[in-house]
Amino acid sequence: MIRGQIPILRIGTTLLATIHIELRDAVAEAFQADVLTTIEKDGAAGLLIDISGLDIVDSYVARIIAETGRMAKLMGTTTVLVGMRPEVAATLIRMGYSMEGVLTALNVDDGLELLGHIVPKQRGA
Amino acid sequence: MIEEILATHELKLVTEDDVMAVRRRVREIAEMRKFDTFAIAAITTATSELARNVVVHGRGGTAKIEEISDGLRAGIRVVFTDEGPGIPDIARVMSGGYSTARSMGLGLSGSKRLVDDFDLESQVGVGTRVTVTKWKRF
Amino acid sequence: MKSFSDYRKYMTILKLDEAEIQSRRAFFTLTDEDLQRLASLRPFAEKVTEEVVEQFYSLLLAHPETRKFFEDDATIRRVKRTQREYFLGLFAGKCDREYVEDRLRVGAAHERIGLAPKWYLGAYRQYLHLILNALQAELKDEERVRAAFQSIQRIVFFDVSLAIDTYIAANAEALVRHQQAIRELSTPVIRVYDRILLLPLVGAIDSIRAEQIMESVLLHVVEAQAKCIIIDIAGVPVVDTRVADHLLKTTAAVRLLGAQTILTGITAQVARTMVQLGVDVSTMHTLSRLSDGIELALGMVGKAITTAAPPAPASPSAVTPPVVGGTS
Ligand SMILES: Nc1ncnc2c1ncn2[C@@H]1O[C@H](COP(=O)(O)OP(=O)(O)OP(=O)(O)O)[C@@H](O)[C@H]1O
Ligand SMILES: [Mg+2]
Repeated sequence: MIRGQIPILRIGTTLLATIHIELRDAVAEAFQADVLTTIEKDGAAGLLIDISGLDIVDSYVARIIAETGRMAKLMGTTTVLVGMRPEVAATLIRMGYSMEGVLTALNVDDGLELLGHIVPKQRGA
Repeated sequence: MIEEILATHELKLVTEDDVMAVRRRVREIAEMRKFDTFAIAAITTATSELARNVVVHGRGGTAKIEEISDGLRAGIRVVFTDEGPGIPDIARVMSGGYSTARSMGLGLSGSKRLVDDFDLESQVGVGTRVTVTKWKRF
Repeated sequence: MKSFSDYRKYMTILKLDEAEIQSRRAFFTLTDEDLQRLASLRPFAEKVTEEVVEQFYSLLLAHPETRKFFEDDATIRRVKRTQREYFLGLFAGKCDREYVEDRLRVGAAHERIGLAPKWYLGAYRQYLHLILNALQAELKDEERVRAAFQSIQRIVFFDVSLAIDTYIAANAEALVRHQQAIRELSTPVIRVYDRILLLPLVGAIDSIRAEQIMESVLLHVVEAQAKCIIIDIAGVPVVDTRVADHLLKTTAAVRLLGAQTILTGITAQVARTMVQLGVDVSTMHTLSRLSDGIELALGMVGKAITTAAPPAPASPSAVTPPVVGGTS
């Protein structure tokens, strides 16, 4: 497992993970572990996963993302998927993956705004 | 119109790296042939699904990528072949939502919806061959 | 409209290079000996051209379906002249690139005037029959007639293969052009406000158009970073299960991008069919009136339409900063 390949940034109470490389098994596992240990250590109200750099999301990647979101949810962190490309959205829908249960936003700003609406502010920093 | 094979590329499919390499190759060809972004995403994603199936379920095999033409349109055909366990109930796996792995089981049924032609041949104990074709749109 | 020299491009499309011409000739067993025989029949051809062409056109003009293609005397004179050239061309004793190009011109011309292959093939059979009659009348000797007719058949079938291939290529090409036109006209996405798009759909939606609509919507939403796209279906004549399914898919894809879809223009008729067909559109915002859709969309971006203060002076602006919060 190669940890730290996908950068995880903190913006206040929110974590921002930018996936910019092909997710292979080892990277995906490391990414999940990184996200979860960061939440465990420092807490986070929200998690933004930015996939604007991905030109393909197959069932494997879709599953990793959905799973990570569910795991984060168990720890009280809301996940928002950000920046999906048009051709990726069309492909997922054609395959039958509507990724219900995963929140989405057009860009990081919108994602932060969405988290502000749904995550109660009292959680603090 | 008569179909013509312009070029063929044979790649092995044994590891996860091979899956990435095949799908990268398919993308390169689709880009070179000036497929639109939606078609590129479609054939690349279908390739990713089927290549992964070969590695995960089929104990490894090969991918043959053909650049084809019907006189008017360019096309890409990919043939995934393995000598793995085969699929006992083809109708069931094609209906989607069935998986022997802990997965959504939308790889085969989903890929079929991404391409123009989809053909699955499989024999238990002998192996599986999936052929997909994507034509460039007008 | 196509240009006159359009047929030349079929040389490329059909890949009619020297090798292809040779391979076709071989398949039709059109040998050099045949070409020589045809060349030697040139005097015969010159003698009977007039007669064969006249008989041929009286047959075509007698049939209502084929007569349509020859509206006036000028046209008839022109096609007869072309036909005479064509007929003599069969006896040129050549089968080179130039010959093939000339034959493609014939195919392209037929496609252009919309003469279906069945009429072309049917007419050609009659044509062959006339030629055979002329051969019998002129050459007398049974053996010579047979040999001559065989050579003619070979070159004629060679010609027919080129004409049919041109038909197919021209048709496929027309399809390309139509599809491009449809794509451009069928998805007119309009920006109605900052981050709000509107797509008024007019006309029937089949699965090809539905696909184009989805792609165009997704591209526009990302490009404009639109929070919301209103799809107005008031101009769609039939909204059945399939159309509803396409709209649901588009909505789901738009949601993946992080935006929302509002469906407006739902008529009483459409509402009734949707419920009767058991189509579940509960994942979509649906409204009857476009104006309500625009109001809902404005709410999503934190804006609202309010009534202006009493006698509104010059300013027509009715849009004021946030009154209604987001609805997401
Ligand atoms: N090449 C193959 N050889 C043998 N069995 C296969 C092969 N490809 C698919 N299968 C069988 O078909 C089932 C469905 O495949 P499909 O790709 O649709 O789903 P999956 O691979 O299980 O999950 P995912 O949605 O992640 O792709 C698999 O679980 C497996 O049992
Ligand atoms: Mg699979």
